[in-house]
Amino acid sequence: MGRLSLGHGSGGRLTNDLIKEIASTFARGSGMLEFEDCALLPGGWGVTIDGFTVSPLSFPGGDIGKLAICGSVNDLAVRGVRPLWLAMSLLAEEGLDEEELFVYMRSAASVCAELGVQLVAGDTKVLPRGEADRLYITTCAMGKNEAISPWGIKEVSPGDAIIVSGPVGRHGAVIASLRYDIKLRELESDCAPLWPLIEPLTRLRGVHAARDCTRGGLGTVLCEWAEGANVGIEIDEEAIPADGDVSAVSDILGFDPLYLACEGTAVFAIASERAETVLETLCSHPIGRSAAVIGKATEAHPGLVGLRTAAGGMRVVDMQGGELLPRIC
Amino acid sequence: MPQVGDLRAKMSSLLEALDKWLCRPITVMEVCGTHTVSIFRSGIRTMLPEGVRLLSGPGCPVCVTDQAEVDAMVRLAKGPGVVLATYGDMVRVPGSCGSLAEARASGAEVAVVSSAIQALALAGSIQDKEIVFAGIGFETTAPATAVLLREARSKNVKNLSVLSLHKLVPPVLRLLASDPMLNIDGFLLPGHVSTIIGTAPYAFLAEEYGKACAVAGFEPLDIMAGIVEIARQICEGRPAVRRLYGRVVRHEGNVKAQELLEEVFRPASVRWRGIGLVEASGLVLANDYSDFDAYSRFGITLEEVSPPAGCRCGDVLAGRITPPECPLFGRSCTPQFPVGPCMVSSEGSCSAYYRYSSKGVSPWGA
Repeated sequence: MGRLSLGHGSGGRLTNDLIKEIASTFARGSGMLEFEDCALLPGGWGVTIDGFTVSPLSFPGGDIGKLAICGSVNDLAVRGVRPLWLAMSLLAEEGLDEEELFVYMRSAASVCAELGVQLVAGDTKVLPRGEADRLYITTCAMGKNEAISPWGIKEVSPGDAIIVSGPVGRHGAVIASLRYDIKLRELESDCAPLWPLIEPLTRLRGVHAARDCTRGGLGTVLCEWAEGANVGIEIDEEAIPADGDVSAVSDILGFDPLYLACEGTAVFAIASERAETVLETLCSHPIGRSAAVIGKATEAHPGLVGLRTAAGGMRVVDMQGGELLPRIC
Repeated sequence: MPQVGDLRAKMSSLLEALDKWLCRPITVMEVCGTHTVSIFRSGIRTMLPEGVRLLSGPGCPVCVTDQAEVDAMVRLAKGPGVVLATYGDMVRVPGSCGSLAEARASGAEVAVVSSAIQALALAGSIQDKEIVFAGIGFETTAPATAVLLREARSKNVKNLSVLSLHKLVPPVLRLLASDPMLNIDGFLLPGHVSTIIGTAPYAFLAEEYGKACAVAGFEPLDIMAGIVEIARQICEGRPAVRRLYGRVVRHEGNVKAQELLEEVFRPASVRWRGIGLVEASGLVLANDYSDFDAYSRFGITLEEVSPPAGCRCGDVLAGRITPPECPLFGRSCTPQFPVGPCMVSSEGSCSAYYRYSSKGVSPWGA
């Protein structure tokens, strides 16, 4: 075994391989990792945990406090789980300004208040200066599954319409633009809680799967679906909602927006006959107003994602290989 | 930026024009890595008629960086008191004893910059260390290194030096044009590089070697128009260097940037990965800037180093084979565990084949 590289935290192929390796060290019966955003437990409960280490801590459209709540509750929401309770752990560096810490805590609290989520457990550690970079937050969220049918990778089926809820790559593009000092006045992270958008879908039939396109972006989620459900997926570049600033940052830095992280944008696989209803429902919510059908799952070429390009050609969308940009969420 | 539906319509009309001008099968080399990636990303290969064969050329700056040069960077980064600054693409390129990324994981200081001038800020903020900027790239990025050097000299910065690994495009094109094995009919010339050097330095390609040439931009329409132009020149039997990227590229290029390059650098014979020593194809620091030369400051000499066993990046760069023809491609060499730089770089043709055509066996054609 070699050393961990930043690529192991990129959310792409290396991360997947590492997680599988870790899961395999747990004995049968003591490790039941589901390779989904959250685990569904007996009794209809859903639980997830996520660590946040964004640099810089504050960015247009959010900060680490807001991100730490949205990240976890969104992992619940995409399986139809209403977020109810939260446990939070802080690892702070000696010398962090208390006022600044409370700015982040207030943003976290305001997302919880908006969603009716209660903070019920917590832990705080302060590390000697230099042993942490200012502040890391880990949140564990728990809630009740309200979906009338199971949502998950295995449910994705040939014929399903693939729908995204908004322009992709905004969070990754904001962090990249700050990191590389590219000034864009308009661009904001899409960091937002997805439950208000998703809740109405829990009562609809035909929802097969949903994912928030975090690390690794839309492209990586679709690759996981194609491989995990053994279907082909074909999407049309022309149909993917785009943001001009995201395209600009991507052009400058050589990124593909398909792989840039989102923190408040989800992708759905929906039975084709229900796609229109779902799309209307999404579009009626402010953060879903530019939702669009971008393609479909197919029986042909299982395991592969194909993109009809804006120019009219076809290409394969592969899972992101290594480090795109570290410490974005 | 044209509307997308509009783009598809324009592409169709260019494809019709290509059909008209294609009077025999042609082989076109896209010299620049940015072209290669754009061609794959837009799926142009899946749209071209059978009679057009595209070859990827040596225009990915990271890919042509020689093994000895990578080794020198890694050795420098591991040295005590040194911060090695370079462009992000370089970080994962494997050297004989690991990559900069691996050196960083073991404690070496490697700073990723998006422009050369950031090295100056690093030198200011980390005054107790030597900042070495490894300058990678062609005529496009060399002026930025030149600006860094000029600033460093005027501010009398003591803890900054430059390891110049810059390379020049025209000399290597001469080598490729004169290779009878390659049978290249035309060159799609790099828009970025031409912005700096203009079109005159390419004239020999048409005049001495009879190659059809188009200087093209990087959008799918630019590239398709370039291919049509090359087909037209071949069909009419009138090879020339035609500038299609007129909105950015002037005939004479960027004279100020050329003067800057002349002030700061001098040409030298350097080794290209897999291609070997090419006369006057690299840039080293001019005598006036020798104080900032990392080669002399750290006593670096570049010895010939063999590439990793089986790696055929050199043949890929010279257009002698396509990436899937390399025995390592997709087997022991993948974007996660790259053996050669063509699989690492975002502009590398191996990585483009791997990512955008499902390891070279895309059901939609490559």
